[in-house]
Amino acid sequence: MLGSVALFVFVPFCKIKCTYCDFNTYAHLSRWIEPYADALAREISWRGERVAQGDAAPLRAKTIYFGGGTPSLLPFPLIEKILHALQNSFALVADAEITLEANPGSADVSRWRDLRALGVNRLSLGAQSFDEAVLRRLNRGHTVADTLETFDAARRAGFDNINLDLIYGLPLQTLADWRATLERAVALAPEHLSLYALQVEEGTGLAHQIARGKYPMPDDDLAAEMYELAEETLDAAGYAQYEISNWARRDVFRISKFEVVDRTENLKFASRHNLTYWRNEPYLGFGAGAHSCFGGARYWNISSPVEYIERSGRGESVVAGGEGIPREVEMAETMILGLRLNEGIAFEAFAARYGEDARLRYARPLREAREFGLVEMSEWRVWLTPRGRLLSNEVFWRLLPDATVQNAA
Amino acid sequence: MESTRIRNFCIIAHIDHGKSTLTDRLLEATGTIDKREMVEQVMDQMDLEREKGITIKAKAVRMFYRARDENEYELNLIDTPGHVDFTYEVSRALAACEGAVLVVDATQGIEAQTLANLYLALDHNLAIVPVVNKIDLPSARPDDIAHDIERLLNVPNDQIIRASAKTGAGVDRVLEAIVARIPAPVADATLPLRALIFDSKYDAYKGVVAYVRVVDGELHKNNKLRLMSSGLEVDALEVGLFRPKMVAGDSLGAGEVGYVATGLKSVREIQVGDTLTHADHPAHVPVPGFRPAKPMVFAGFYPVETNDYPLLRDALDKLKLNDASLTYEPETSAALGFGFRCGFLGLLHMDIVQERLEREYDLNLIATAPSVEYHVLKHDGSIVTVDNPAEMPGGEEIAKIEEPWMHIQVFTPQEYIGPIMDLVVQRRGAFDKMEYLDAQRVLLTYFIPLSELIIDFYDQLKSRTRGYASLDYTFADYRASDLVKMTILVNDEPVDALSMIVHKDYAYARGAALCKRLKEVIPQQLFPVPIQAALGGRIIARETIRALRKDVLAKCYGGDVTRKRKLLEKQKAGKKRMKRLGTVEIPQDAFMAVLKLGD
Repeated sequence: MLGSVALFVFVPFCKIKCTYCDFNTYAHLSRWIEPYADALAREISWRGERVAQGDAAPLRAKTIYFGGGTPSLLPFPLIEKILHALQNSFALVADAEITLEANPGSADVSRWRDLRALGVNRLSLGAQSFDEAVLRRLNRGHTVADTLETFDAARRAGFDNINLDLIYGLPLQTLADWRATLERAVALAPEHLSLYALQVEEGTGLAHQIARGKYPMPDDDLAAEMYELAEETLDAAGYAQYEISNWARRDVFRISKFEVVDRTENLKFASRHNLTYWRNEPYLGFGAGAHSCFGGARYWNISSPVEYIERSGRGESVVAGGEGIPREVEMAETMILGLRLNEGIAFEAFAARYGEDARLRYARPLREAREFGLVEMSEWRVWLTPRGRLLSNEVFWRLLPDATVQNAA
Repeated sequence: MESTRIRNFCIIAHIDHGKSTLTDRLLEATGTIDKREMVEQVMDQMDLEREKGITIKAKAVRMFYRARDENEYELNLIDTPGHVDFTYEVSRALAACEGAVLVVDATQGIEAQTLANLYLALDHNLAIVPVVNKIDLPSARPDDIAHDIERLLNVPNDQIIRASAKTGAGVDRVLEAIVARIPAPVADATLPLRALIFDSKYDAYKGVVAYVRVVDGELHKNNKLRLMSSGLEVDALEVGLFRPKMVAGDSLGAGEVGYVATGLKSVREIQVGDTLTHADHPAHVPVPGFRPAKPMVFAGFYPVETNDYPLLRDALDKLKLNDASLTYEPETSAALGFGFRCGFLGLLHMDIVQERLEREYDLNLIATAPSVEYHVLKHDGSIVTVDNPAEMPGGEEIAKIEEPWMHIQVFTPQEYIGPIMDLVVQRRGAFDKMEYLDAQRVLLTYFIPLSELIIDFYDQLKSRTRGYASLDYTFADYRASDLVKMTILVNDEPVDALSMIVHKDYAYARGAALCKRLKEVIPQQLFPVPIQAALGGRIIARETIRALRKDVLAKCYGGDVTRKRKLLEKQKAGKKRMKRLGTVEIPQDAFMAVLKLGD
């Protein structure tokens, strides 16, 4: 896969800001949407030229992901413009996965049909919950009915690969509430589900509400039970978990008695774009605050959308910073990201990539994690146990090299 | 200068009542320090002293003052430490004076500590110059406060000076009163030399410098001197006075205050309260009141990183050069590894030493809960002293345990008598007496075990009296008590560093409180961790820290790998700062949990 990348486009606009969100997103910036799309197109073509290979052939790209924010807020012609810029600057593989994140609230079938015709073949819908009270409390700005209508419209427009985002571990949410949401989500039969435990981030509206005593701090033990409930429910409904927070319908590309069904690459609906991140492979991110990982370094753009547009307009670089990734750190990141996947880390692949045996390099952390029942190992690979998935940080910090710890302190 | 023109005095004041500011004004008014070079609060030189607003080491300064009688006087101000941990040091500084300026805040009134030092001063027959300070403040009640002082000291009201050290008002009256009311030293230059050491410090160039008040005779440069308590002989390498920096001279006359540089390497060799005399023509009787420095409170200091042990040893060696009251010896704990058992004058002293080790020597320390020194009489007739609960002999060997008791004075508005009584009774204290100083204010005295005093007593006193009560204490005696050793087990393993000695009748309550507190301070682990308190083999209290079930970053995509890694790095760094006992990670402050039990 050398020279093949994943492409990410960040859209920082939202109609309203959700109470739990600490992303680089903004409501009330809609007049900047068009200049922002122009700036994106400029960044894409500029970057495309820079990373092109020696003979000036464009770099191969296997996935495109419009994330946000709310990319579905972009008018169709702007999405088209950005997608064309990507197609002009990169060599998209034939079966490239092209995902668009969207919020419920658009039941316009023809719009979805246009997007589908444009080449968008995967939809990620921010449903979050099927509980009206929860949606209101989070200031989501949509209703359960909106979700159902949007899902139906997308299906009718031909989207046959739809993800639903759900959130749990919320203040006041009970296990029964969560069960109901899971059941309603499964009833829609989406191809993919992403389930996120709420993280109360500093500075968010929700953090304030909790500090003021409006809501209780969510209980971690209950969130753990919700997670376990989700694992059981989705498994029974025919979904295979392939990452800490991600499930795909258990459809596979090939059925052969030599294949392991749950091996991620066989899962037809696993997010191929996100797999790039978890396998610590190169990606390019475009837009305000977007991160890229390419050529042994990680770098990120200026996070303010307005400044991003202004700099781009003046022909200046939009990069705000970067870090070289020392080999030791890269190896640790490969382990940490890879262990997020249910398939875990294959020792042979790790050795092929780094010329080192992960079992030796990480002998002590792996031994400790095994003693605590957080990982399991076979001759070929190491993966998180169900308990380890809930306590993954306890595995991951052990894998970091000591030197970087001093930098953090 | 002729001794009739010398005045030696100190200033007695509660924290924040304005001692340092008044000192600054006196230095300015006498031209000792130029206003331009005046660093605010010249006398408190250590950073820690400035932060805590207290004087840890006594210091001295000589001023020259031309009084209204047209004569020039030599005024020696000896600064005294301002905390009850340092009562002995205060007594030695007072012994070097003939008078004291009593500074009382016009908004706060007299506090227990002021009173304690005032009584000390009266014991030394010092003339008192009372000053009501901060009269510039809107909430000042100078007449009420003056009235209190009048009754307390039996001085005429018109002799009580109203002043504001901040604005300078009344400072001239203070200077005149020092000259007029404080007697000149009764000093005989013809007698054999007796110089009282009221402080000492280590100087990298001069060795140990003794701060002295010449009581009789004269002290010249290059004299051969002898310390009367130890017999140690030293040379007076340099003699001089404080302006307030050290200024070398040729001699110190009878009644004068100054310093002698000895070239010695440790302040331990020149103890506060000792008397210097001439080796070849010694005095017969030393200045009375010498008492070797004796620590009252003991705690283990351990490096979090075992590799730092040599650093800790070196740091303690260096601190001790300047701190005669600090003691330490190597100690080993099954839980904490190699460390030192350190002895302190009190909790504040312990705090200061710990903070200096951490700040000035960049050490990451675990301090165990402070203990007192127990006298244990065994059935075989032998007596052992135990200052580490972990080393208490088994119950079957013990005939009797004695513990130190303190005499405490609590000065409080009368409405808090009830809450204070409750607190003292909870802490096994015994009522001694109660004196009404006026209709509102009461001086309560009690006897109480030191071990109870060092557990959160002061904080409790403050919270129960909304900060109004103040406390002073002195050692009383050793008394037999029905004491037992309580062992704490974490994850079924006894942790020696958490053992404590408790009174039998209080063991259940203390055990339960400590287990509960430890449950709060020890973070959840990957498995359930039982915490138990035991007497002998019997469990008397138990709590369980539930296992950690969830520690996961739900979202991890391309955008934030760096940020997520930084979070993990922080988590790892946090773990490194914990102490690992078997498989359980315990934060440093867990070992001090016993100090914050609440009541």
